[in-house]
Amino acid sequence: METTFVLPNSGHKRDDVSSKMGMWLFLFTEVLLFGGLFLVYMIYRFMYHADFMTASHELNVLIGTINTIVLLTSSMTVAMSITAMQKGDVRLSRRLILLTIVAALIFLVNKYFEWSAKFEHGLFPGMEHYNTLPNGERLFFFLYFFMTGLHALHVIVGGAFLLFVVRAINKNKVRQDRYMLLENAGLYWHLVDLIWIYLFPLFYLIH
Amino acid sequence: MQTHDNHTGQQHDVHIVSYKEHASTFIGLVLLTIMTVTVSVFGAEIYTLSVLTALTIASTKAVVVALYFMHLKYDPKIYRFMMGVVLLLFVIFAVLTLVDYLARN
Repeated sequence: METTFVLPNSGHKRDDVSSKMGMWLFLFTEVLLFGGLFLVYMIYRFMYHADFMTASHELNVLIGTINTIVLLTSSMTVAMSITAMQKGDVRLSRRLILLTIVAALIFLVNKYFEWSAKFEHGLFPGMEHYNTLPNGERLFFFLYFFMTGLHALHVIVGGAFLLFVVRAINKNKVRQDRYMLLENAGLYWHLVDLIWIYLFPLFYLIH
Repeated sequence: MQTHDNHTGQQHDVHIVSYKEHASTFIGLVLLTIMTVTVSVFGAEIYTLSVLTALTIASTKAVVVALYFMHLKYDPKIYRFMMGVVLLLFVIFAVLTLVDYLARN
């Protein structure tokens, strides 16, 4: 290894290490954002344990499980697309990213049907039936809609980010020797998966 | 792929995770998901046990995702260290919130 000291911004147009670190720092703020919501959930679950259990039975475990598997699959495909890019197989890499985006769409379609059923039952905050529910159940559904809604927003953003990466690949701006954008999009996508890993058991699988 | 030297801040000594490793990680995660659903649907009736089991399985999955899919296992240690600091921060928040909650009753 050379020992000469090279100043930052000394003509090098990119900095992969800092790029990735910046992404991680952003992900930490996301962890704390959802972390705060999980703390709210924790306290209210202590206070309204029975209500949370009753309300949780309204949720569809099957759709939840399917969506979990969909997200896990998409996490694998995006991780593999980075492997493909590192190995120089651009076509495969792009295909795997598109597959990830398809998984994101499947997730959102499932979510749409799931939420529609809740709307029909009048469980959305402010609806007539919602207003007649006991305090704890109302808090449960409020948190359910807020947290899975915020998560779904992240799914949409993640999908858009991946689409942006596909565009960059087409323009040859992301390639075998320069794939940090893809790696950062992957990190974001995995975070979306990570959050769901906690949301799923805490909302759907309360016993 | 080894490119450039460290002083320029470019990527170096990249460890390429194989497709096979990603596939096995995925299978492991699916098995853990099946496990947590099974435990919840047919499992223990004791409240705390069930929450603890669910959270333990979820955390195992989270660690697997972070280490393998997010490359934390092969990346420089600094990322793991930063992740640890953030988790510690969250634990401090959680403990303080709990203490506050318990002290009010």
